[in-house]
Amino acid sequence: MNGQPDPLAGESSAGGAPTYSTGTTTVGVVASDGVVLATDRRASLGGRFVSNKRTVKVERIHPTAAITLSGSVGGAQAYARQLRAQARLYETRRGEPMGMDALATAAGNALRGLPVSPLLGGVDADGPRLFQLDAAGGVLEDEYGATGSGTQVAIGAIEGRYDPGAGVETAAELAADAVATASERDTASGNGLVVARITADGVDLREYDTAAAVAVAGDEEVVN
Amino acid sequence: MQGNSQQQAYDRGITIFSPDGRLYQVEYAREAVKRGSPTVGVRTPEGVALAAAGRTRSPLQVPESVEKIHEADAHVGIGTAGHAADGRRLVDVARREAQVERLRYDQPVGVESLTKAVTDHVQEYTQTGGARPYGAALLVGGVDGGPGGTPRLFETDPSGTPYEWRAVAIGGDSGGIRDYLEREYEEGLSLEAGTDLALSALAESGDGTLDPEGASAATVAVETGRYERMAPTTLRDRVEELGLDAAN
Repeated sequence: MNGQPDPLAGESSAGGAPTYSTGTTTVGVVASDGVVLATDRRASLGGRFVSNKRTVKVERIHPTAAITLSGSVGGAQAYARQLRAQARLYETRRGEPMGMDALATAAGNALRGLPVSPLLGGVDADGPRLFQLDAAGGVLEDEYGATGSGTQVAIGAIEGRYDPGAGVETAAELAADAVATASERDTASGNGLVVARITADGVDLREYDTAAAVAVAGDEEVVN
Repeated sequence: MQGNSQQQAYDRGITIFSPDGRLYQVEYAREAVKRGSPTVGVRTPEGVALAAAGRTRSPLQVPESVEKIHEADAHVGIGTAGHAADGRRLVDVARREAQVERLRYDQPVGVESLTKAVTDHVQEYTQTGGARPYGAALLVGGVDGGPGGTPRLFETDPSGTPYEWRAVAIGGDSGGIRDYLEREYEEGLSLEAGTDLALSALAESGDGTLDPEGASAATVAVETGRYERMAPTTLRDRVEELGLDAAN
């Protein structure tokens, strides 16, 4: 899958012990007024055993940017902490938040060699942006994208339905639908969704049991 | 005798404060800066101008080999005063930092960030045993944010403190030149007028004259966002037109 580490190969291990892998479907969609990141909530061991049913795989790393985690859970969480520290240091030292181009470059640099394939979504003075990153440090910008074992199903659910002029709510429904569709067929994805709506105002992170709930205000749990 | 040797000890190590809280070696380094020929910076809404006077010690010396103004990155120039060799090292610190910013974030470094990277480095040498402080001051001038961006002008001194200026002089007779700039500086100058002001200010320290052979100048224009060195012939013409050459 585009040279990304195979998320289903959960036996890829630290010192021979099996490690938690998110298997995962993560999706990013750029809207007119923001960007949406959506993921399932399943973590698995070797893609065969559901080890956690409420994994939040979107992490805020910047006042108006977040990444999705796919691949090794430990590697992804450490990576998110790294980026958050870099973004905070940049902002405290310079008195202004990191722009998306700088953040994407730093994210690509920090990723090299890690068994993680994240999406980076965020908003800066130039508007909403989405980047797909790979373990070799590749940084590719796109209007929508997906990573994880459910990638092919999820991207098929977005393809042909993407509307670049749509607002963040419409984009959230599309992204949620893509994650839900992938969860139907990918055994390493499932157990509900997490949706992040990222606008100039910040990162709004919410959990849902079903994709249908994304369209209904009040049917969610606020994560942060 | 003992008291005397103890007093002397305060200026032996740079890491030692005097009883009244001064760092003598840092103050001596400031004196070293004053012994150099002056460098002037002027910030206008259209960009930043840097100009420097240099001494050619012999008619046999190649004037271009006296480097006082340097390109740090495409959008930033640095003028130096004081120990030339120390100044060069600091310019290299700035050049490296500018490229580190591009590797790390894929963006041109901000003039303020660049200045602070240099001053943080300079500060380290006021606190490290066995080292001596830098005997050089810099003027860091550039444009933030590409063409159409914001012009900025900073000074670094041997203590490692950054200062931002509209117009400033460092090096020999900088006090007199600063007085001149305080009288003559106006808001809203064109970049050309700013460059002329910088050259006239330099002449102020040379009895109203400026030797175009030893002088150098550069600008970073807001319009282009790029550092541009003034060609020696252009500089000579400018100095003559302003009536600053010795023949006048």
